[in-house]
Amino acid sequence: MIRLENVSKIFRTRNDEVSALNNVSLKVNEGEFIVVRGHSGSGKSTLLFTIGGMLKATSGTVNVCGMDIYKMDIKQRANFRAENIGFVFQMFHLVPYLNVIENVLLPGGTAKKLSLNKSDAKELVKKLHLEKRENHKPSEMSAGEIQRAAIARALIIQPKIILADEPTGNLDPENASEVIGHLQQFHKEGGTVIVVTHGTDANQFADRIVQLKDGCIVDS
Amino acid sequence: MILKLILKEILHRKLNFLLSLIAIISAVAFFVSFFTTSEASKRETIRLTRDMGFNLRIIPKETNMDKFWLSGYSEKTMPEEYVNRFMAHKDFSYAHLTATLQKPIIWKNKQALLIGIAPELEPSGKKKSFMSFKIKPGTVYIGYELVKSLSLEDKQVIVISGKSFKIAKCLNETGSNDDISIYAQLTDVQEILSMEGQINEIKALNCLCVTEDNQDPLDILREQLAIVLPDANVIQNKTIANARESQRIMIDKYFALIMPFVVIVFAIWIGALAMTNVQDRKHEIGVLRALGYGSTKIAVLFLGKAIVIGLIGAAVGFFIGNMMAMSYGPGIFKVTAKMIKPLYNLLTWSLVAAPLFAALAAFIPTMIAVTQDPALTLKEE
Repeated sequence: MIRLENVSKIFRTRNDEVSALNNVSLKVNEGEFIVVRGHSGSGKSTLLFTIGGMLKATSGTVNVCGMDIYKMDIKQRANFRAENIGFVFQMFHLVPYLNVIENVLLPGGTAKKLSLNKSDAKELVKKLHLEKRENHKPSEMSAGEIQRAAIARALIIQPKIILADEPTGNLDPENASEVIGHLQQFHKEGGTVIVVTHGTDANQFADRIVQLKDGCIVDS
Repeated sequence: MILKLILKEILHRKLNFLLSLIAIISAVAFFVSFFTTSEASKRETIRLTRDMGFNLRIIPKETNMDKFWLSGYSEKTMPEEYVNRFMAHKDFSYAHLTATLQKPIIWKNKQALLIGIAPELEPSGKKKSFMSFKIKPGTVYIGYELVKSLSLEDKQVIVISGKSFKIAKCLNETGSNDDISIYAQLTDVQEILSMEGQINEIKALNCLCVTEDNQDPLDILREQLAIVLPDANVIQNKTIANARESQRIMIDKYFALIMPFVVIVFAIWIGALAMTNVQDRKHEIGVLRALGYGSTKIAVLFLGKAIVIGLIGAAVGFFIGNMMAMSYGPGIFKVTAKMIKPLYNLLTWSLVAAPLFAALAAFIPTMIAVTQDPALTLKEE
């Protein structure tokens, strides 16, 4: 499903170079639940965005669903992302002026039109126990509710992969547990999940834990 | 979806929208009111200078010029048909053309100047507003001094040399020989004076003839007129023509000076607000990118907002600009006050130019939004 070979990512500033990923090779099978752990600056988020086709590696190849995604042009890569990958972020990043249903349907306006309809969105929102919040904007909801809405937005496209960057980082244990539960449910239904986290909440569901240190995989 | 996002975002960030809208409204209102009043100013200048005399005065050749300058009219006459000959000559162009017959008379023991005015002739193919009185047959306009001394009133019937006339208008005081003048239609005056088919002056405004760069137009005009109208002499009032031209150039220069300044100020204003908007929305841009939105859609999101602001601003700005011109214009341009009207072609211009202007002002912020690296933004937790 996902195969990284000798991937390095170097961020260049005017006077400096920072190596965020250093010759990383990783294989994730279809339907696997992977937890990526490591200290701040270890390259976890960089790894996630590189897999998600949003951060081109300085060297190496990134294969997702059988495609070398960085051989695609930007538009093709955007379409690929829209159809195959769902993102969940620590800061949720719901669009503040849209309500829950509108946020969930947001991927419908992407480059390659996805046939998303309101009834699917409502069903998904109900599944995530947000039916009473479907017309609410993010500012009117709790952090746990917002993150569940973000998961609904990721799930609406029926992705093959969910990439979650610290999805429980801003949640209390109860909400964190519920969010991880939804990711686990997606995994149970055959989806591939990669969760980057500091915490240990996802460990119990992980098929594998990948430990990153200074841009290198030290334990897998 | 994109239009929905634009409109929802506008409603969400009302202050940013309102400040941007105010900038566009101000720019359009300024442009519309300035342009409308400057057009009024040009008309006013033409009107005022016309009342001082026409650019070109064509009088009979044997006129005694000393007496002409003393009295203001020629005591000689020429055939009325000269007007048609002048019109028929292809090398002359003019904006307004009329013929007059003037004679001093004694009326009710008062000295008066009887002036017959021919209906104004328009250049072929051009519709022009009339620059002089449009007098109906059997009616007269009476000067202020005559009205006052003889206690005349509008619509009163008077008799001049055995012919009855209705007073169409009692004129206001002008401080010139207009105050002792009686204006009637040319044919009526010719009948009273028994001078059928005769005139003593042709007046032409903005009259030109084809010349080379190094030739004096007046010399050429006189040369040409000598052929067409052998018994006429031409006098050009250069001072009035120059004053009118200077006034027009001054307004145009003022407009050309002030408009770029206005455009730059408002462009910076809108650009700064668009930049703030991009900063406020960087995470939104990042997440849209993560969801698969391409550069074009992100650009449309920002440029579309600018265009919506431009369209609304143009319509409101046009309305406010006209209100300003209508409110303050008549107080400034009293003579042509009634002619200050909304210029509706400016609405079309505004609806095209304002969205374009807003989009150009938002272009750099939009490019920043489009080129922003979504991964780096989303990593900023």
